[in-house]
Amino acid sequence: MLLSRTLKEEIIKHIFLVIAAFSIFIILFIFFFLFSEAYPAFTSIGFDIFNTEWSVSKEHYGIGAAIFGTLIVTIGAMLIAIPLGIASAIFLAELAPYKLRVFLKPIIELLAGIPSIVYGFIGIVLLIKFLRISFDSLSGYSYLAGSLILGVMALPIIISMSDDALKAVPRGFKEASLAVGATKWQTIRKVTIPSAISGISAAVIMGIGRAVGETMAVSLVLPNIMKIPIPPFDIFESTGTTLTALIVNQMGESSGIQTHVLFSAAVILFLIVAIMSIASNILRERIEKKFKGG
Amino acid sequence: MDFDFLEDRIDAIEALVKDHPFSLLCYGTLLYSSLVALIGFSSIVTMTYLGDILIRSLLLVLFLLIFILIVYSYFVLHQKKKLLVMSIIAGFVILSMIFIPLLPPEYGLRQFDIDASLLKFLATSIILVILGVACGSLSFQPLYHFKSKASEKSAYYILLVSILLVLYPLAIIMGNIIVNGVGGITWEFLTEDVRRLGTEGGIFPALIGTLLIMIGTALVALPLGIGCAIYLQEYAKKGILVRIISICVDILQGTPSIVHGLFGLAFFVPLFGISLLSGALIMGFLTLPIIIRASEEALRSVPQNIREGSYAVGATKWQTIRKVVLPPALPSIITGSVLGLGRAAGETAPIMFTAVYFIGAGIPQNPLQPIQALPYHLLELTRLIGYKSVDQNAWATAFLLLAIVLGVNALAIIIREKYRVEF
Repeated sequence: MLLSRTLKEEIIKHIFLVIAAFSIFIILFIFFFLFSEAYPAFTSIGFDIFNTEWSVSKEHYGIGAAIFGTLIVTIGAMLIAIPLGIASAIFLAELAPYKLRVFLKPIIELLAGIPSIVYGFIGIVLLIKFLRISFDSLSGYSYLAGSLILGVMALPIIISMSDDALKAVPRGFKEASLAVGATKWQTIRKVTIPSAISGISAAVIMGIGRAVGETMAVSLVLPNIMKIPIPPFDIFESTGTTLTALIVNQMGESSGIQTHVLFSAAVILFLIVAIMSIASNILRERIEKKFKGG
Repeated sequence: MDFDFLEDRIDAIEALVKDHPFSLLCYGTLLYSSLVALIGFSSIVTMTYLGDILIRSLLLVLFLLIFILIVYSYFVLHQKKKLLVMSIIAGFVILSMIFIPLLPPEYGLRQFDIDASLLKFLATSIILVILGVACGSLSFQPLYHFKSKASEKSAYYILLVSILLVLYPLAIIMGNIIVNGVGGITWEFLTEDVRRLGTEGGIFPALIGTLLIMIGTALVALPLGIGCAIYLQEYAKKGILVRIISICVDILQGTPSIVHGLFGLAFFVPLFGISLLSGALIMGFLTLPIIIRASEEALRSVPQNIREGSYAVGATKWQTIRKVVLPPALPSIITGSVLGLGRAAGETAPIMFTAVYFIGAGIPQNPLQPIQALPYHLLELTRLIGYKSVDQNAWATAFLLLAIVLGVNALAIIIREKYRVEF
């Protein structure tokens, strides 16, 4: 009787182990299948895949312009999202009265809940029109539009993760600072923010990851022309695309080597975001360790 | 140069501000900096617009003077270098977000009349950076300089402005969608098939498809997600395996939805075709990390002594988990899962190559048939805007999609608040 009971327990434990290991399998599967689809592109094109020339008719497939576009659009988005996000998180975590916090927190969560296709739709009907008129550009589709949309989309994740990081700073730290006569703002600036800095960095990295991987909204508001604008940093120009937009727009009607190239773009995306996830995770673990000791 | 007299003056002002509960000065600087920004901006805009050379040069001189004043006050006031960087960024963002939307179209940057895009870009960015430095350094001034209550007030003020800027796009999105979309929601719209590329008819198949995708996602992700959380939280000992699983969950959480979509295209579509099953499996994988993290959190919040009490009366580990640990953790687990399903309802990229057709899929008879879905429907309508008269239906679809996703999220929050178990 006792033996069968422990046996049953062992079996249950192993069932859960298999379920838990499933996420490892998923990651391995994703990587394996993406890579096996991308491999022909690497063998037939080699490092020319990083060229900036993309022409379906000439069968030149260089995704350099898309990589560059991803970089520019992400930088633009972060210029908007990082200062605003961190400032909002400080307000929420440290300064907002309890009632305001309880009211604002779900609203920020709401912002995170809006599907990306809805952002894309709003981008088309409101933002693009607005940019076209006020900057007198040809179409309004531009890096700027992508950066604005992505900046707003990356805000909630930066705010809520930074807020968590700030809230995780032990009360004792702040009270000690207040006790020696520092004002509340001095405490925030000199004690709370430095203590939470690794958590805030984790938030920023996650925000960057979100911006790099975001697809639908960006693909709708970008010009989707596989060229680097001249000059390259012209965020108003109606050329340029990102890796995600490239995949979404070309996957439907691609064939042969072009499909494999698009898969290799996905491999690059996956690697970038995986590295960022791991980095963010390490930073968060560090902050946990720090405060458990203290 | 000797700036002592200025320091004395500043000390005097500081003393003044200290005595007064309400810091006049910090609001003064904010007002001043916005004035500077306004004058500078309008001078630049009108420069190429007005023919009068006198007005042009006057405005230019005025703007230069103010700029010199800003630079001068900046160096006199001993600010730190990192403050400059912070001010530039903050001022840049605040100003570009305040000014650009406020400009009416006829006063937009078209007044520059510069053809080369480099010049256009350089000009706008230089203006914004200058104004950013001006507004930023002056408005941040009080935070750093005064040690009284004034600094707290102004910090509060600036942080409040930043959160208002965060809420601004939310208000625009929600306001527009509600105002333009609610009129299109009629019984016919909800129950009729899509006709004429979405310009007429309703969205019934897409609505049903989205509900089916959510159900399918729940069937895939709930057992896997909750099971994984139970293993990680209840059974596993800290070690290499737990660490690997945890890293994999993190990577999965960060994986872009389009990458999931391509994975589905490469793996599931050859097996199951473009079908509900492929879509549900992909969406299940996508929501899995959300459910795992939420369930882990929920299980972690159940205190250890409750488990020990259960072991003490002779219960096995599984009995303890089933009868003691899971019931109080359930509301939070459900909340996390519902949030995950809300995400699944709104995602487009994972299903667009694996599960959906724009028109003609109808209601699937079995899981191996393709479906229609609201997000993909909205994508196709958005692509048709400007070519066909789909605007009314597009707004209504956006409204419905937003209502479903946010309704699901609200439901999750209500569950969390209503059934919360406190220890």
